[in-house]
Amino acid sequence: MANAKEIQTRMKSIQDTMKITNAMYMISSSKMKKAKKVLEDTEPYFYNMQAAISRILRHVPDIEHPFFSVRHLVPVNERKIGCIVVTGDKGMAGAYNHNVQKLTEEFMEGPGHYKLYVLGMVGRQYFGKKKVDMDGSFRYTVQKPTMHRARLISDEIVRAFLDRELDEIHIIFTQMQNAAALETVNMQLLPLKKASFQPSSLPVDIPLEEIELSPSADVVLDTMIPNYLTGVIYGCLVEAYASENNARMMAMQSSTDSAKAMLKDLSIQYNRARQAAITQEITEVISGAKAQKRK
Amino acid sequence: MTDTFGLEIYASNKLVYAGRARKLVLPAVDGEQALLAHHANIVAAVVPGEIRFESEDGVQSIMAVSNGFVEMVNNRAKLFCLTVERPEEIDIRRAEEARERAEEQLRQKQSIQEYHMNQMALARAMTRLRVTRKQDV
Repeated sequence: MANAKEIQTRMKSIQDTMKITNAMYMISSSKMKKAKKVLEDTEPYFYNMQAAISRILRHVPDIEHPFFSVRHLVPVNERKIGCIVVTGDKGMAGAYNHNVQKLTEEFMEGPGHYKLYVLGMVGRQYFGKKKVDMDGSFRYTVQKPTMHRARLISDEIVRAFLDRELDEIHIIFTQMQNAAALETVNMQLLPLKKASFQPSSLPVDIPLEEIELSPSADVVLDTMIPNYLTGVIYGCLVEAYASENNARMMAMQSSTDSAKAMLKDLSIQYNRARQAAITQEITEVISGAKAQKRK
Repeated sequence: MTDTFGLEIYASNKLVYAGRARKLVLPAVDGEQALLAHHANIVAAVVPGEIRFESEDGVQSIMAVSNGFVEMVNNRAKLFCLTVERPEEIDIRRAEEARERAEEQLRQKQSIQEYHMNQMALARAMTRLRVTRKQDV
């Protein structure tokens, strides 16, 4: 059995670590709350915008626009697929970063050329060591997502898509289903799928009004869709940020719990060791005294 | 009640205005455009600039908007812009700095892409400044 002093030192170090994990827990829980608030703020804009786009598509169903073009002419093996990967800036968040990396690698096994746009330090370092095509100039932090950053990102990918540098654009990020469950998702940003805007069952007798698109359908969609994408990317960033902090919160909670369990075990061990030392001392004193008596 | 229409103004982070309005003037691609009640159904692109609207009780408001679009269907208008700011929310010094930065950048030789981005930044900054100045007069 280890001696009492050693056990005490260990307990002290565990206590110190527990203080840190506890503090991190509280920080991420407040960050998560803030992120959730921001997410709620953007929801009205986003849902109404989606409704507006779907309305336009419903009224102008045979619209031809570069953002909707699937580019069938490009063979599957030569498709250039861009992928925005949202990871955290640091670890200590359980399986959060790992799940994103795993999903990305699975996705990259498919046919075509992949180009990664990685957000967050962890992912950048991870994919930097691998042999993958990664855009080195794409350096954005994932802390405190802002509209401005989302706009820069969407400008960049929309430009790449229109210049035919990329034929498809996906985003891999983590979604929060509820307080306990996180899910890593792979969403296609471009080309847009018309089906995703259309409600699956349109009533037959829905009145179709005539809508004028000013100055032209192309111009309207040209401004609407980048805006919509910026909104989607912003939503994804906020969602990922909230998930990251949620993951970190849970990881820190469980490490605080296991620190507590370890402390409990160690304090029992410590008490035993202390008791054993006392007992031994008493035995020594008594036997010493007995030996003295016999003389 | 016949000469008003429902107006909702959405910025990316909040619902800026919801209520009845008499008139809405907004910057379209080919100049300013006014929407009155019972305007024909229309969806129009909006460029950075100022919007003015008159609410039901005749209160005039002016705001700075960035890129977006407006949808007017069945006498209900919805305006979607990434940012919508009231004059009192605008930080004049920041806008001034942004304008100087954009002008400086525009003088440099740069790619078309950068040129467009800076031009948009300049347009946003100029609008913000213009809107605040009107407020002061």
